[in-house]
Amino acid sequence: MADTRKFDPRPIEGTDAGLQVDMLLMDRYRIIGVLGGGGMGTVFQARDTHFPEAKRLVAIKEMITPLTFDPNQRTSMFKTFQREANILAALSHSAIPKIYEFFTTDFRAYLVMEYINGSDLDALLARTRALPVEKVVDWAIELCDVLDYLHSNKPQPIIFRDVKPANIMIDSLGKVRLIDFGIAKIFEGDKKHTMIGTEGYSAPEQYRGDVNPSSDIYGLGATLHHVLTRKDPRVEAPFSFHERPIIKLNPAVPANLIAIVEKAIQQQAEDRFATCAEMKIHLEQLRASGAFPSSITTGVMGFAPLTPLPMPHQPPKISAEPQKTGINAKSGTDYLDEVTGDATIQARWKFKTEDEIRTSPTLFRGMAYVGSYDTNMWAIRADTGELAWKFPTGAGIASSPTVDPSTKLVIFGSEDHIIYAADSMTGRIAWTYHTHDKIRASPRVAHNHVFVGSDDGNLYALVAQTGRYLWTYAADSPIRTRPFVTNELVIFGADDGSIYGVELSGKRKWVMRAKRAVNSSPFVDQQENICFVGSFDGYLYALDATSGYTLWRFRTTGPIISSPAVGGDSVYIASTDGNLYAINIGTGKERWRANLEKALVGSPVVHGNFVYIGSTDGAFYCFDTKTGKQIWKFQTGGQITSTAYIEDNILVFGSLDHYLYALPVS
Amino acid sequence: MPDTSPLPQRDPQLDIGTAPMHPTDKVAMEANTHELTKIVPRASNSSHLIVGQATDVGMIRSNNQDSNYAFIAASRTCDAIPEFGLFMVADGMGGHSDGELASATVVRVSASQLLSKVYMPILTKADMSDRTPITEALDDAFQSAHRNLIEDVPTGGTTLSAIILIGNLAHIAHVGDSRIYVINEDRIEQLSRDHSYVQRLIELEEITPDQAETHPQKSVLYRALGLSEQLEIDTMTRRMTSGSSLLICSDGLWGLVSDEELRSIVLRYPPQQASDTLVSLANQRGGTDNITVVIAHLP
Repeated sequence: MADTRKFDPRPIEGTDAGLQVDMLLMDRYRIIGVLGGGGMGTVFQARDTHFPEAKRLVAIKEMITPLTFDPNQRTSMFKTFQREANILAALSHSAIPKIYEFFTTDFRAYLVMEYINGSDLDALLARTRALPVEKVVDWAIELCDVLDYLHSNKPQPIIFRDVKPANIMIDSLGKVRLIDFGIAKIFEGDKKHTMIGTEGYSAPEQYRGDVNPSSDIYGLGATLHHVLTRKDPRVEAPFSFHERPIIKLNPAVPANLIAIVEKAIQQQAEDRFATCAEMKIHLEQLRASGAFPSSITTGVMGFAPLTPLPMPHQPPKISAEPQKTGINAKSGTDYLDEVTGDATIQARWKFKTEDEIRTSPTLFRGMAYVGSYDTNMWAIRADTGELAWKFPTGAGIASSPTVDPSTKLVIFGSEDHIIYAADSMTGRIAWTYHTHDKIRASPRVAHNHVFVGSDDGNLYALVAQTGRYLWTYAADSPIRTRPFVTNELVIFGADDGSIYGVELSGKRKWVMRAKRAVNSSPFVDQQENICFVGSFDGYLYALDATSGYTLWRFRTTGPIISSPAVGGDSVYIASTDGNLYAINIGTGKERWRANLEKALVGSPVVHGNFVYIGSTDGAFYCFDTKTGKQIWKFQTGGQITSTAYIEDNILVFGSLDHYLYALPVS
Repeated sequence: MPDTSPLPQRDPQLDIGTAPMHPTDKVAMEANTHELTKIVPRASNSSHLIVGQATDVGMIRSNNQDSNYAFIAASRTCDAIPEFGLFMVADGMGGHSDGELASATVVRVSASQLLSKVYMPILTKADMSDRTPITEALDDAFQSAHRNLIEDVPTGGTTLSAIILIGNLAHIAHVGDSRIYVINEDRIEQLSRDHSYVQRLIELEEITPDQAETHPQKSVLYRALGLSEQLEIDTMTRRMTSGSSLLICSDGLWGLVSDEELRSIVLRYPPQQASDTLVSLANQRGGTDNITVVIAHLP
């Protein structure tokens, strides 16, 4: 038992110290520097002094036997090393570095091989934003070729065992070279008994200690998945590729390439390609068909389906889990349906106002209320789309109305500085309140009070029935968010990036500062008492609503103007980076994202199993909350910055094309 | 073979020596949450956080590679600083003393970092915007511990499960197969997910929880500190109900004591007594591995 042996902490002396720069190894190799290493050994760059005239560079891998090993174990390990190195030295393939020499010392083994000038794929992934899909296919073909060469070795097939980006070099000519053969594995020795590598690229059977050529096919598939999706499998749970469908993460990847990659990463070896040669044929067929857009600009929609590959794409057992993102559950040709699922729906009605609708409507007792930049508050009958009344203010309306159910007053602000309360049935004004600057924030009614911010930097608390002034909280920066009111606090954001938690008495309890303006209206999940709010700094923040302490933040790649929405255990946020994100509330981790390309300014709305949002591309979208799959879209004639309101199977939203739209929802 | 009779729930005093439960009897893996028989808990009207902890080498192993840690700060001032607790369990792996060094290293490194990044700003009432989001602080601390481990104990590895409790908000970070549970009068719920090969197979519905019990790779982890260069850490935030308990334990405990037993013992005894009781129960059942538990009872 390893546990009983005594560990000798003394450093290894004299001649057997490790390689150092400038050292001359075997009177022949002058060490120039370190190329890489860690784990089982270090790789050095050296110059072969037997070629004094030519600058012949070599790579030397130095492997160290575990210090805990006794001489017998070491001898046996060296024997294995010799055997494997002999096999390696006999190989001849353009993608396999040549082995010049190998030898051992007391504690170390050395492999002298061809130096490859280039960069490994891992480094390449880190340095680039996207690699041309066409190039990836070229590499995949070369990798299939070299793996097939290894697998066809006689008398025994050679299994590479560790196909992953870090072991694939792209040399200066752009050719693939396979490095770091399993030989290093011999020196792992004392394997921690309860651990195995976080490979991410390893096939399921490898976890059971069963390795065969098919495991290399899996490794290649996993590598391609990583390269195409840029999602590192090492940081994900093993065998979870189906949770990160390529089609979602990189729409530039042709469906047939996706099919090839997915077949390679099937859970069961028998569901994968039988050989690398077979996989290569499919890749070459794809390559020959010229199916690639010359640059990564188009989505999958833009390209003609090829003759489907003869692969049944058997769903593995994992697809028995019904709610996972569904690619595994599909048959070979279904991929195209996923993206061409541009179903649309018919509007119940639309109503034209006299200018752009930038704000969000509200529904109350069969009426839709919406402010327009034409200065009017419009009241439209929700069943017919007919005008009930309109009320002109002194300037454009950039504030979304709210209805107080107890007084039945429609309350809204206007850029004329005034807060209005109008009777919801007649449009007759009940009261007004003058602030000192434009009102671009939307009011909130709670506890029989109205809370509304103004560009004058104050948050106003007024009595809902009469408009009587109660208190103001001076934020000293324009407030353009709709406050969220809990049983204890009024929470709102300001243009200077502050997020305030103010008690119902008007006294500040906490303030948190985001790095940029907060125009996103906070939403408090009252069950967990967690406040979600976005900022121009690109983050969605999750704050403890009681203390303002940040629990987690989620980074998007553009300013967030949109307000969060909560449904089930997810919070939804849209960003100007063009994505709608679904984020797990407990963990702050992304569940899915839907990329709509154009900036998203309006806010998502969750209703039943669907989340709805309008885009500045002019379309209004419906997504499945579970998968992020687009269900339908509805085109309008202008950008949509308005957030939908849903009640009684009607969804209403406005567009910059001046119209208020009513769509049916279930 | 296992006696499948359930724990006698109505028995007011649990007789540890004769508890007939066998580990394979667990329904534990089938679902994280169990609706259980109502147990009248001990008087739990304490006004502040109470903690118990215990660790033991077990009956088989020659050294204890587990580490545990608990820190509580409770105060009553007009500043209304919330109660703070930091709790951890790490289960080390590796030959010789590597395992115990590994678990000790990660606990020391991450605890010191978390206290300075999370607790000190609370105590000094630092500006909110100068505070690291708690989840990020946890993630950073785990990553530091991981890097330290790779450097200082290259052949060791460890699990690490940590809870930061601020008021009634529990922030959890977890890597490996130690477990974090929340226990209250109605149920026991496993908050952490085992990063083990068998658990992954269960999630993929490749094997059943029963098959997992006897699976040869039962203790194989796919995620642990010190294991590979990149480390993904599970984090989560959960608001706790008053009177509930948090429990962190190594697999030396949960492998031998069922979820129902954990719950019933935690509800019956004060945290320290419950911790000791659980450890002796695991030892009575063979003590096949190191046994470690930390229990925090919320006011």
